[in-house]
Amino acid sequence: MNIEQLLLAVLTYGCLYSVMTVNLNLQYARGGMINFGTVAYFAAGAYAYAIFTQEPPSGLDQYAFGFNSPWWVGFIAAGVAAFLFAIVTGWPTLRLRGEYLALTTFAFAEVLHSIFLNERRIGNGSVGLSNVNRPDFSWIGMSDNYGFAGAAILLLMFTAFLCHRILASPYGRAIDAVRDDETAAEAVGKDIKRLRFEIFVISAVPVGFAGALYAMITTLVSPGLFTAEVTFFVWIALILGGEHTIKGAIFGTLALILFEEVVRSFNFETVRSAEIAASVEHIMTGIIFIMILRWQPFDRFTKKEAVQ
Amino acid sequence: MTLLAQYFVTGIVTGCFLILATIGFSLTRRVEGFLNIAHAELLGVSAFVTWGLNVKAAWPFLPSAIFAIIFTAVVGLVVGRLFYDPIRKLGPAVLLISSVGVAYVIGGSVDALVGTGIRTLNIPLATTYRFFGVRITDYQMIVVALAALTGLSLAVFMSKTKIGLAIGAMADNPELAASRGIDILQTSRATWLLSSGLAGLAGVVLALIATLSTDLAFHQILQILAVAILAGLGSLYSVMLAGLIVGIAMDMSVFWIPAGYRPLIAFAVVILVLLVRPEGLSGRKSK
Repeated sequence: MNIEQLLLAVLTYGCLYSVMTVNLNLQYARGGMINFGTVAYFAAGAYAYAIFTQEPPSGLDQYAFGFNSPWWVGFIAAGVAAFLFAIVTGWPTLRLRGEYLALTTFAFAEVLHSIFLNERRIGNGSVGLSNVNRPDFSWIGMSDNYGFAGAAILLLMFTAFLCHRILASPYGRAIDAVRDDETAAEAVGKDIKRLRFEIFVISAVPVGFAGALYAMITTLVSPGLFTAEVTFFVWIALILGGEHTIKGAIFGTLALILFEEVVRSFNFETVRSAEIAASVEHIMTGIIFIMILRWQPFDRFTKKEAVQ
Repeated sequence: MTLLAQYFVTGIVTGCFLILATIGFSLTRRVEGFLNIAHAELLGVSAFVTWGLNVKAAWPFLPSAIFAIIFTAVVGLVVGRLFYDPIRKLGPAVLLISSVGVAYVIGGSVDALVGTGIRTLNIPLATTYRFFGVRITDYQMIVVALAALTGLSLAVFMSKTKIGLAIGAMADNPELAASRGIDILQTSRATWLLSSGLAGLAGVVLALIATLSTDLAFHQILQILAVAILAGLGSLYSVMLAGLIVGIAMDMSVFWIPAGYRPLIAFAVVILVLLVRPEGLSGRKSK
């Protein structure tokens, strides 16, 4: 793999995953909600996009629906699907706190994964949907790789802008107040349940869009792509970048993706050595994660800045 | 009807395995106060140490199993001291997230050393017995016996020995325990040894009844969580009851719905319990 391809892949996937990290940042660092099921909204978006844009089933296809719509309909459907799934999962769970919320969101994500895996009428079960339609970039004279990298950057910019606007507004300060002291926020008349629910649902929508973009880039959606690994990855990226800032979330994700892509770009002589490299990558990621949580270098850094 | 009875019996075996896997997890949760996601990876460590000694080093099964349990207990203690102790003051949420990192490190290490593929222990094939048309293998009976024995001896240990009582006191109220002269650090270490040793035992059982692959450990955590949440922050007995309920519910569900949804039952339990009765079977509220 040459440098150009490597950088392009890092940029594309980095921006795509950053959308999730930025939204997780909104939910966790600002809203105080531990969502361990981020992948579910991502998967809901990807599947919705694929189902809306694919052709009606024929031959050996087991899926029941294919609407053959243009890509932008699928894209909107992806946002709507993530939105709806966030309402369904957020409504009952958000009165739970801390680790209990983490567990229920995690469980909901596994339920969705299991449904995609077992219910063949949605997306061919474990085989998934391949040859997902993708928009054509030739009309603006761009190759696909560059086009999707640009699309990912645009989506990230949109998400970051949205988050920034929300958090800089009086509404954002109300969210901070709820996180810092629920009783005090309630005492001054903030509707806590509603605020938490709104943040949870709003932040799911861009994740759904990211899912649609992911389906376009890989042209494949299958349950195997949307496992708890994705959720953990986004969490690690968020912690790596230092919580609480949008910039930190983005840099953390880009750094983690770069690290993964560099490890993957080595050529390995045997399957066994590639396996070992993948495991070592896991171990390294875990160690970085633990170290950052333990020493919290970014927290100290931002605090120092605040003092000066 | 026989088929339903068969699923019921298999469910009891599954439940007994879940009890073994969850007792240690639940102990950590009560004493250390957080959900240790890495607990399931310790099952993997133990299962693969057993496999390594039994198959690669050609040891007989029993010594390899005992060595694996002791080894896992020590690994658990080292992990607890090295990774969790320094961040205990940061609260259960950070500990939970850290334990994901620990699970990555342990899982990755097992992967790197063992590699992918499916493996079995070098033990005699299971003999099947029939009772009124319901089949059960000797290994399955061993699992049930082990779960009963472990539950019983743990109950005695917790209520009769000095360390057991100290662990119980620390689970109920660490400050009070400390003020009554219980050595918190020593008790915490004893808990890590005990809970990891129990994970080791569960890992050996897993190696006995299942074919081993490196992603096996991760799949257990979901069911362990289900049992632990259903049990709540209560005693040993609520864990045993919860384990049986989840095990039987999972296996009997196969009678009515496609087998692919079997793991889903565990999650349905998690979601239902947390929404309807967050304090679990034991009814004890978290502090």
